[in-house]
Amino acid sequence: MTQDVTAPPEPAASDPANRSAARQIAMIWVVMTVLLEIFAIFVPARLMGVAASKTMTDIKTTMTVFTITAAPVAALVWSIALYSLLRWRHRGSGPPPEDGPALRGHTPIQIAWLVVSSVLCLFLFIWGLVEMQAEASQSTAGALVVDVTGQQWTWTFTYPSGGGYTSPVLYLPDNRPVIFDVTSNDVVHSFWIVQMGVKVDANPGEITTASVTPDRLGTYLVRCAELCGLYHAYMVAPVRVVTPAAFTTWLHDHANSQS
Amino acid sequence: MRVWAVVAGAVGAGVIIAAGTGVMLSYGSNPAPVLDAAVHGYEQTAAGRLPHAFLSLATYPDSLAGEHGKGGGPHPDWVSYGPTTNLEVPAHAVVTVTIRQYDTGGPIYNPFFAKVQGTLGGTAIVNGKTVTGINPNTVAHTFTVHMFPANQPGVFISVPLPGVSATAPNLANGYPKPNVVTFSFITGGPGRYIWQCEFPCGTGYQGFGGPMSTQGYMDGTLTVG
Repeated sequence: MTQDVTAPPEPAASDPANRSAARQIAMIWVVMTVLLEIFAIFVPARLMGVAASKTMTDIKTTMTVFTITAAPVAALVWSIALYSLLRWRHRGSGPPPEDGPALRGHTPIQIAWLVVSSVLCLFLFIWGLVEMQAEASQSTAGALVVDVTGQQWTWTFTYPSGGGYTSPVLYLPDNRPVIFDVTSNDVVHSFWIVQMGVKVDANPGEITTASVTPDRLGTYLVRCAELCGLYHAYMVAPVRVVTPAAFTTWLHDHANSQS
Repeated sequence: MRVWAVVAGAVGAGVIIAAGTGVMLSYGSNPAPVLDAAVHGYEQTAAGRLPHAFLSLATYPDSLAGEHGKGGGPHPDWVSYGPTTNLEVPAHAVVTVTIRQYDTGGPIYNPFFAKVQGTLGGTAIVNGKTVTGINPNTVAHTFTVHMFPANQPGVFISVPLPGVSATAPNLANGYPKPNVVTFSFITGGPGRYIWQCEFPCGTGYQGFGGPMSTQGYMDGTLTVG
């Protein structure tokens, strides 16, 4: 016994129903894009808090630019998904057909999709390279060196220029490059000054280096960004960015008191 | 519709089971004992006349004398603080801590923690002698309160506890004559802090496992309030 299987009719691109659907999806896309662009311009950078270095300022700018660039793409995907869920959802109590209308290629759309995607990816790639190069080329002339040691579950900061004075609080001078030589006494930690955009692993037996120039007075936080055991969540330390004069006085006083 | 009903039912059942399990576990577990600092009189300080509170702690080479009971709990051979590891002290007060240290010592990885930090005068009294630090090669343990500056006053206190001689004769309690370390600090406003030993006296990699990484042995909480 044979069963007569009839394929669903293929919709034509010029089908008025399809054109109507395309118009409605386009409208949803435009609205969503506008909303997402507003979100991209105002929200991500604010969520990242204040920037206390040029590095962090650049990171916030990059995050904003990337979100703005990605917004239309995300909006298009969500628009099609939303429209499909609302309008092309199977209704009724019976099972849906096992197959829908055949998909057909549309060369201009495919070309546009590939070109736009490539341009966007290339733009993000070049932006990233330029930012990385700008970051790597920041001057560290006259930098203050701080030896950073992580251990479960605390940080200590040693100042070679201060006679090896060690502090549980990270004091930094404003507008002077700082080089961090980071290591660990036990497991792998990650040294992260959140508001300065500096993050580098602290590995036992190894020294990893990071640098930054603080450019905003205030108190910030060092966090451990590598799950390191029982009190990982408590592995924080204050960072105090002070004026160069105040820093010199602080380091001089403590170096003398130590000797 | 039937699929959605099944999914919703499964999610609901999962939530109820998880919540019920949590409630049962919370009722079934014993709350950790808390040691309240005893206030006796007042102390004149640069910050004014403050209540003077006292805490008495000990560090043992095992877990037979602390909060784990005479049997030592699941790990009787682990080093431990006693009588408990959860401490409570008054806010805006002078707190004097006395620690009887019964364990042997060795070299500490980070000599920073062989120094006395954050106490009144930056000193501690070890067996009657005022010191600002001890030999980094003979540290048994430390009492280190972490600076945790999240919405509470910043605190950092670290006091090294020297090890007893391996040949020291035992006392009647079965432990060698302890080193007695006393120090004081001033509390600010209310807060909750973590303290721990920074000498790698545990098991596993670099000595930071076992009692160093398990609540109720070489770490605990300090509640100011």
